[in-house]
Amino acid sequence: MAVMKPEMKSFIWLETPDGSIQQVEEEVAMFCPMICREVLQTGMGSSKNYAIKLPQRVNPVVLGLILDYCRFHQVPGRSNKERKTFDEKFIRMDTKKLCELTSGADSLQLRPLVDLTSRALARMIEGKTPEEIRDTFHLPDDLTEEEKLEPLKNRTDDPRIRLLNRLYARKRKELKVRETSKIVEIEEERVDDRSVDDLLLFINSGDEDSKCGKSAKNKKKSRRRKDHLKDSSLNIENGNHKKETDSLSSSHNSEIEDVPSPSEISKLLGSTSPTNPPEPDFDDELDPAMKEELDREVEDFARRLNSVWPERMQGIMR
Amino acid sequence: MHMEFFSGEDYISDLPQSIIETILTKLPLRDAVRTSILSSRWRYKWASLTQLEFDDKCVYGTHDRALAETYLVKFVSRFLFLHDGPIHRFTLTTAYLQSSPDVDQWLLFLSRKDVKELILELGEGEWFRVPSCLFSCRKLVRLELVRCELDPPLSFKGFPFLKHLNLQQVLIAPDVVENLISSCPLLESLTLSYFDSLELTVRAPNLKYLILEGEFKDICLENAPMLVAISVAMYMTDDIAEHFGQSSSCNFDKFLGGVPSLQRLIGHIYFTKYMSIGNTLAQTQVTYQQLKVIELYQVSFEDMKEIMVVLRLILNAPNLQELQISGSSNSSCASEAPDFDFWEKECPCDCAFEQLKIVKMTDMSGLPHEMAFIEFLLGSSPILEIMSITPSVYVTEGRLNLLIELLRFRRASAEAEIIFVQDQV
Repeated sequence: MAVMKPEMKSFIWLETPDGSIQQVEEEVAMFCPMICREVLQTGMGSSKNYAIKLPQRVNPVVLGLILDYCRFHQVPGRSNKERKTFDEKFIRMDTKKLCELTSGADSLQLRPLVDLTSRALARMIEGKTPEEIRDTFHLPDDLTEEEKLEPLKNRTDDPRIRLLNRLYARKRKELKVRETSKIVEIEEERVDDRSVDDLLLFINSGDEDSKCGKSAKNKKKSRRRKDHLKDSSLNIENGNHKKETDSLSSSHNSEIEDVPSPSEISKLLGSTSPTNPPEPDFDDELDPAMKEELDREVEDFARRLNSVWPERMQGIMR
Repeated sequence: MHMEFFSGEDYISDLPQSIIETILTKLPLRDAVRTSILSSRWRYKWASLTQLEFDDKCVYGTHDRALAETYLVKFVSRFLFLHDGPIHRFTLTTAYLQSSPDVDQWLLFLSRKDVKELILELGEGEWFRVPSCLFSCRKLVRLELVRCELDPPLSFKGFPFLKHLNLQQVLIAPDVVENLISSCPLLESLTLSYFDSLELTVRAPNLKYLILEGEFKDICLENAPMLVAISVAMYMTDDIAEHFGQSSSCNFDKFLGGVPSLQRLIGHIYFTKYMSIGNTLAQTQVTYQQLKVIELYQVSFEDMKEIMVVLRLILNAPNLQELQISGSSNSSCASEAPDFDFWEKECPCDCAFEQLKIVKMTDMSGLPHEMAFIEFLLGSSPILEIMSITPSVYVTEGRLNLLIELLRFRRASAEAEIIFVQDQV
């Protein structure tokens, strides 16, 4: 192997965001499309004073890793197997560095490296429980229990309205039961297995820690509901929507939960604004006996949901 | 569980959406949607994915077919409803779901989202009748349909940007498919599989890759000058065989007459027979300067016409590098007495395959013309490196004779290795 004199090799000068400047072998640096473009289009990088300024996300550590990658892969003679072996060893690093590396490679437009690191990150997500994923990436567990349980919907929705709507749905169901008890029964039976619930579960895929702290959650829920019953405002137009929502709720009937999906919510709410106008009509429409019954039912449902949840999850997830 | 508060150290949520999307698209769609429960910032990261791939894995956990179908429909419908942003690629591959009004609705939704790539493979039951909204997906670049019925409206003028078209088991009228092909000016790759008795004329000025598989009565590549690779598998039925007998034109010219840039030709099953109809080794022929690889399967070396097709191809491909031919195991024209003068007559003695390096002959039965052909190749290929011969499984006793004959043959290339493949796995 011929020994090359230092003057014969060509270098490119790079400056990282912290101000430090280093020189890198030309063929290695040119492997990065962004650097290649800078050199060819602007002529920068030829000397220390004209070092190419690297993007914000490419700090010296990240740059070092990227250059290691480039140094290996820019050699043309390597076999696919060699490259693959190198890649597998290369991505073994802690998660934080892997994320930073992905970010840096992206800003230098080094697509093969972005793909490699993304695949590694995807492997850390696939098939893992939410808790494991949060742990891996240090994600804050900042969704409320309600949000985790409930379906995804329009961002502008107020959580209170969801609870209200659930009560509405239940109330409507009560009324419907009185009218056409037979039909409802049959429908309930028929759609038992296909409840909306199951779909939500697998979209939201509840996590293990919904199991613990359940009693606390229960209390929270029923307390909230009681509060709403007292001072909440009502949407009188509910009556107008009755026909529409009846068909909706019956088609999505289940004995467990009538949680509305986004489409239902928009229909239910119609054109009313999310902020409820103060209209204390709820108490007027319900007689106390029914109100009590409703309260009991809601609590009952909540308890049932929580106890059934783990088994349900087992059935759906694995 | 984990009640510790990490000092604001979220590694991943700050990455740009394009990277998040790259990561999420490497996950099965179900796992991607599940990320909505990770944290408040992850609630909707999945909802702006632009490449959606739905399949039966989205509903694993149940073996009840009806249940799986309902789940899948719900999942796709709700996903699409909650999705936010453009959709570039939509793939639906399912064995459970068949023709369903939900699919119509999804296609309507997609047609409004400027979808660019659409791949649809539904279940084996009733074939899906594609709604007309598909034809208003003006931005389509790739379209792949399996088990569908296509019936474009009269006002359909083609897909102006379509580059890749793949129709498999698609019910479509012959003139409609021809119009579809010719009305997509940018079409580069065309695959048609499992068509019945199709007479096809291809007019596609930019077509580079052509794959045909099925029962074709007639194929005419009328205008496809940019073709680089062709792969054809022709099946035979009785009425096609009749048609063969009645045809007066030269199929070779119709098929390969206008493809000077061809680099790779692959022909399966009855392809060589099809090409042999009306074929002559006439003087005025197209030279395939770029043709580097020829693979012909099920060539009957007892049919002189088929041998002529092979000859015509290789004699007009001066830069041929690799040749692979498999013999036909059933002798249908065994009645013809071998014409041993044939080789001296048809092959110019000074012909040389200057670039031919690899030859693979498989399913060889030791027929006289097979051996003559091998002898011819060995004697005319100055830089041949490998001549691999695999005897047919039906030949058990004749192998030794085959070998003895092979040994005799003169070799023009000192480097040539003759490899006799004994045990086929």
